[in-house]
Amino acid sequence: MRKHKGRRAFLAVCTIPALILFGVFMLYPTLNIFIISMYKWGGYSQHREFVGLDNFVKLFSDAKFWQSFQNTVLLIVIVTIVTMTMALLTAAILTREKLRFKGFFRVVFYIPNILSAVVIAAIFSAVYDPSRGLLNTLLSLFTGGHAGQVLWLGDQKVVIYSIAIAMIWQAVGYYMVMYTASMSSVPESMYEAASLEGAGRVRQFFSITIPLIWTNIRTTLTFFIISSINISFLLVRAMTSGGPDGSTEVFLSYMYKQAYTNSSYGYGMAIGVLVFLFSFALSGIINLVTRRESVDL
Amino acid sequence: MKRFVALFCALVLTLPLFVSCGTRSDDKDSDGKTVLKVAVLESAYGKKMWEDVTAAYEADHPDIKIELTAEKNLEDVIGSKMKSGDYPDVVHLATGREAGLTETMIRENSLADISDILDKEVFGEEGSVKDKLIEGFTETAATNPYDDDKMYMAPMFYGPCGLFYNAGLFAEKNWTVPTTWDEMWELGQKAKAEGIALFTYPTAGYFDSLMFALLCETGGVDFYNECMRYEEGVWESKDAREALDIVAQIASFTEPTTVANANNDNYLKNQQLILDNKALFMPSGTWVVGEMVDAPKSEGFEWGFMALPAIDSESERYSYTYFEQIWVPENAKHKDEAKNFIAYLYTDKAVKIFAQSGAIQPVQGVSEILEGENKLFYSIYDTGAKAVLGGFAATNPVEGVSMTDTLFGTINSIVSGDKTVDEWQDAIKKTSDSLRDALKK
Repeated sequence: MRKHKGRRAFLAVCTIPALILFGVFMLYPTLNIFIISMYKWGGYSQHREFVGLDNFVKLFSDAKFWQSFQNTVLLIVIVTIVTMTMALLTAAILTREKLRFKGFFRVVFYIPNILSAVVIAAIFSAVYDPSRGLLNTLLSLFTGGHAGQVLWLGDQKVVIYSIAIAMIWQAVGYYMVMYTASMSSVPESMYEAASLEGAGRVRQFFSITIPLIWTNIRTTLTFFIISSINISFLLVRAMTSGGPDGSTEVFLSYMYKQAYTNSSYGYGMAIGVLVFLFSFALSGIINLVTRRESVDL
Repeated sequence: MKRFVALFCALVLTLPLFVSCGTRSDDKDSDGKTVLKVAVLESAYGKKMWEDVTAAYEADHPDIKIELTAEKNLEDVIGSKMKSGDYPDVVHLATGREAGLTETMIRENSLADISDILDKEVFGEEGSVKDKLIEGFTETAATNPYDDDKMYMAPMFYGPCGLFYNAGLFAEKNWTVPTTWDEMWELGQKAKAEGIALFTYPTAGYFDSLMFALLCETGGVDFYNECMRYEEGVWESKDAREALDIVAQIASFTEPTTVANANNDNYLKNQQLILDNKALFMPSGTWVVGEMVDAPKSEGFEWGFMALPAIDSESERYSYTYFEQIWVPENAKHKDEAKNFIAYLYTDKAVKIFAQSGAIQPVQGVSEILEGENKLFYSIYDTGAKAVLGGFAATNPVEGVSMTDTLFGTINSIVSGDKTVDEWQDAIKKTSDSLRDALKK
C-alpha cells in the first residue's frame, strides 16, 4: 500500500513541471484572452473598462470582420481541398508507381515547407509581379504581347486566390511526405490480391489506400485546418498587408489591426476568442464527419 | 529519500521559469547617477546620431547616465515591457506606424504634459525652446492632441511632403511642371500619348499628405481643421467633394500596375516607376531620396519636388509638413530629467549632429546648414507654397472604425474601379460621424 502511494506521489511530482509549463504558457494566456475580451482597453494603460459582451455585439455588426471571416473560410475550404487532394495523389504516385528519381521528387516537393513565410511571400511576389513576373510573362506568350495584364495581387476578385495558391504550394510537400509514410506501410500483398481480382489502379487507391490510411488523413486534416489560419495570416501580412482595400484581410490580420493599429486591444481579443471557438468547433465537426470504422490490418 | 530526490529534481526543472520574472530596480547606477531610459525608433537616419547626441548629453550632464534603446521594431521591444509596468522615460516614435503605439498612448491619456519644455532655456544658449522652434509647430493636433494649450508631444524631425518627379525627364521632353490641376490633367494626356502614366503612389497610406493639402486648397485651412475635428456635415460639403473628385481624377491617370504593388512588401516597385520614367508624379516625403539612393535610375535622372498644384491660377498651393514626435509616458520615473533631455535636443550642438544624418528639426536657422537636395526640398515654403500641419484630432478608440482605412485605403478601390466616389464619400461620412462622438474632450 505504502509503495503504491509512493509511486503515485512520484508520478505526480514528475508531471508537475509539465503541468506548470502548460498552465503558465497555455491555460493562463488563453483564459486571459477570454477575460480581456470583455474590457475596453488599449493594451498599455492601467485603465480598463469592463464592458461585458459589448465587444462581441459590435463584432457581429462589423462588416470588415465579416469580410475577414469570409476570406478565412474561403481560404480554408479551397486550400484544404486542393492541398489534400494533391498531397494524396502525389503520395500515391510516388509510392505505388515505378518512377525514376523518386527521392528527388520527394525532396523537391518538400522544400517549400522548410522556407519561412517571408521567403515564400517574396518568391510569390516575384511570380505575381504584373510587369516582370513569371505568370504574366507566361500568359503573354499565349495572348501575344501585353494584352490583358492580370494584376494577381491588385485585382480584388483574384487576389485571395493568389494567396491560396501560395498556401497550397507551401503545404503540399509536407502532407505528401506524411501520406507517403503511411502508404508505404500498406502491405503489398493487398494490392496484389486486388489486381488478381481485376481492380485497376484507381479502384485500388479508393478501396485500399484511402481506407487504410484514413486515421492518418483525419488527424492531418484537423491539424491542417488549424494551421491554415496561422499561415494565411503570415502570408497576407507579408504579401498584401490585407489589401487592396481589405480584400485579403483574414481573421488574424484583422485582429492585429484592431488590437494594435486601432488601439482596441479588448476588441482584438474578442476576435481572438471567436477564432478560438471557430477553430475548436471546426475541428469538432471535421472529427465527427470523418468518423469511420477503423480498418485494422 | 527517493521522494526527496524526485521533488528536488522537479523543483530544479521548474526553477528556470521564475528566474526571469524578478524585476531589477535601476533608478540609479553604481556611481549614483540617475539612469534615464531613452527609447528611439531606428529609422532611415540610423542610430549613430542618437548615440552621439546621448554621449554629448552625458558629457554635459555628469549626473545622468542614459540607457539608449534604438530599434527598428521599437514597439515590439518596449511594448511588452510597458505592459508589465517598465516604462522608458523618453520615447521618440511618431504617429502613423502600423503598431499604433503612440496613438494608443494618446487615446489612453497615457502621455505626460510636457508644455513646460517650451519655457526651458536651451542648454548653453540664450533664449527658450519656444523661441528657437519655428512658429506653428507646437500648435497642432500632432503636438497638442486634446485640442487645448497643453503640449504632450514635442516636434522632432520634419520634412515637407508633396509630389516627387524626375526633373531630368521634364527637361528632356520640354514639358513644364504643372502649377494648376487643369495643367496637370493636360500633361496627363500628353504623357499618355508617350506611354507614360501621370501618377503612381507607394501605398494608399501616402495619400494622407496629399489629401490634407488638397482639403486646404479646396476649402481653406479652416475647412481642413473642421475635417480633422470630424465636424458635422464637412464631408458632404462641396469642398470635400471637390477634393475627392480630384483624387478620383488622379486615380484615373494612375499607372495600372500600381495597386498590385501598393503594399508594405512591394511599394518600392511603385517608387521605381518614377525612376524608370514609367510614371511622372508620386506623393511622398523627403525620405524617398534616401530610400531609393541605390536603385537604378534612368539616364539624366534628377529628383524634382513640388507642392500640390493649385485649384486655379489665382489660388494658393499647399504642402503638408510631416514631423516625427518625441514624448514622455505618464508613468515614466524621471519625468523632469526626461524634459531636460528633450530640451537639450534643440541645442545647436544636437541640431548639427542630427542634420549630419539628414534629420532636420524645425528650429530657427536650420536652412543655413542644409546641403544638396535638402536645400531644394526645404525651400518649398520660400517659393510660395503654404505649409499644412497637424492631422486628425485624437479620439477614444472606436472598435472596427478607422479613418485611415476609409479615407486612404479605399483609394485602391477607386483606382481599380471597385468602388465609386459616391460610395467612398458615404463611407467617410459614416466614419467621421462615429469618430465625432468619441472625440477626446
